[in-house]
Amino acid sequence: MILDIDRLETGYGKLKVLFGVDLKVGKESVGLFGPNGAGKTTLINTIMGMQKPWSGSVKFDGLEIGGKATHLVARSGIALVPQERELFPGMSVADNLELGAAWVPRAAGIAKRQLDMVVELFPILKERLRQYVGTMSGGQQRMVAIGRALMANPLLLILDEPSLGLQPSIVAEVFERLALLKKDVAILVTEQNVRESLKAIDRGYVLENGAVALEDTAAGLAKNPHVVSAYLGI
Amino acid sequence: MATKRRTTILVVLGLAAAILVAIWKPTVLIYGVQQAGLYAAIAIPMGLVLGIVHIVNLAHGEFMMIAAYATYFACRATGMDPLIAVLPAAAVTAAFGWVVYKLTIRRALKAPELNQLILTFGLGIMFSQLVNLFFTSQTRKISLDYVSASVTIGETSFGVWQFVFVAVAAAMAYGLKLFLTRTTLGKAALAVGQNPKGAAIVGIDVDRTYGIVFAIAAALVGGMGALFLTRSAIFPAVGSPFTMKSFSLVAMAGIGNIPGILGSAILLGIAESLLRAFRATRGWADIVFFVLIIAVILGRTLKWRKS
Repeated sequence: MILDIDRLETGYGKLKVLFGVDLKVGKESVGLFGPNGAGKTTLINTIMGMQKPWSGSVKFDGLEIGGKATHLVARSGIALVPQERELFPGMSVADNLELGAAWVPRAAGIAKRQLDMVVELFPILKERLRQYVGTMSGGQQRMVAIGRALMANPLLLILDEPSLGLQPSIVAEVFERLALLKKDVAILVTEQNVRESLKAIDRGYVLENGAVALEDTAAGLAKNPHVVSAYLGI
Repeated sequence: MATKRRTTILVVLGLAAAILVAIWKPTVLIYGVQQAGLYAAIAIPMGLVLGIVHIVNLAHGEFMMIAAYATYFACRATGMDPLIAVLPAAAVTAAFGWVVYKLTIRRALKAPELNQLILTFGLGIMFSQLVNLFFTSQTRKISLDYVSASVTIGETSFGVWQFVFVAVAAAMAYGLKLFLTRTTLGKAALAVGQNPKGAAIVGIDVDRTYGIVFAIAAALVGGMGALFLTRSAIFPAVGSPFTMKSFSLVAMAGIGNIPGILGSAILLGIAESLLRAFRATRGWADIVFFVLIIAVILGRTLKWRKS
């Protein structure tokens, strides 16, 4: 197991948000669905060390990472593409990508190879390496954020709402690229756009009210009546 | 980008003012530039801390004062020249800066910026009062021969030692530019300044980066403290006017624009030196900085309101 979350509970102040979440990610691509407020982002923040677990455990590659500082989690091999992208707007695309690899031991010495891979995945970035990220469109910034995460040569790539604020054609493109990636890196992706993301994942979890309500393969989820009525809107 | 255009405008204005003054009164220009070098060399470290990682340090001048005092007593005890003490002073002040960061400033970083302002303002007062308590408010000075070296060209004769500040300021500006654009740590500092959350996500230790940048700035201003001692008398309150002037220069150059600090300093240094050249206006020289900073802030507010 690459990521193994066991009975995880956390929250803010007195408000409990996650009520014993169990979630596993192996060498596969896993979707995390659920309505706003279900706790998807809280779960990701807890994996990344931005939120402390109250109880339960978060194991990554066999080691407990629950409560570790964010930069240490990142260095251990988890790369995050946050909902808000969190790029460095006053720096060039090249510098943003370079910083993705600069502090992660797994990426030491192979930044050049990773960069080639990223620009092959997103050819538009190759023409814009010198451009300041702050001057780019939302879709292009999303590509920079995914590229920056891939530069780290991660064992696990986490994407939080990668299609948020993107036009549908780009959403399709992003998921096409993700489908290409999944043979090299484990992926955990949260997404409102369940229909598109089901094409790119192997398995999925449905998170409701801070607990896992449903867990199945992509094909199983696509047929599940609850998923169909609540998320696919058919 | 906007900062580049700003730098160019400042440099052109500075040069134009310099040429006019040079033709009319050469010593005004020379002393103006020398004074500008001193201001810039003290302001550039603040530009790094304030402009790049956005920490407001109102105890900046006090760091220099403390380094100058440490150098003074070391030199008195051993008989060494303050020039030799520049690097050790930098190292000691860096360590001091690191400790101050770890003990106080890092705890105020997550709070609204006003907290840093009040915290560092308080630290500044505490440092100068502590020095006052232990070493009294008596002025102290080390007399050195080479400081009074002068040169005569035609009918003008002037001191040359202070040009060392100009050289130091230029070296600092250039060195920091290289640090920020060429080194991994420098880029991490820029990243932390632009987006601390994003920086942590890529594996940068944000807290340590703040500490290192703060220590580097302390080192630079500490080295300046030793250098300052070669020329000037020191007393507990000697640093605080430099805090305010550095703040003005950083604000005038535009946050994050380190080379612009040099341009702003030359402009203000010459303006100050010009006022000092006439008996009638001599007392007004110290006001130049603050009139300019008020004008710059008003100008920006108006521009911001329009857009």
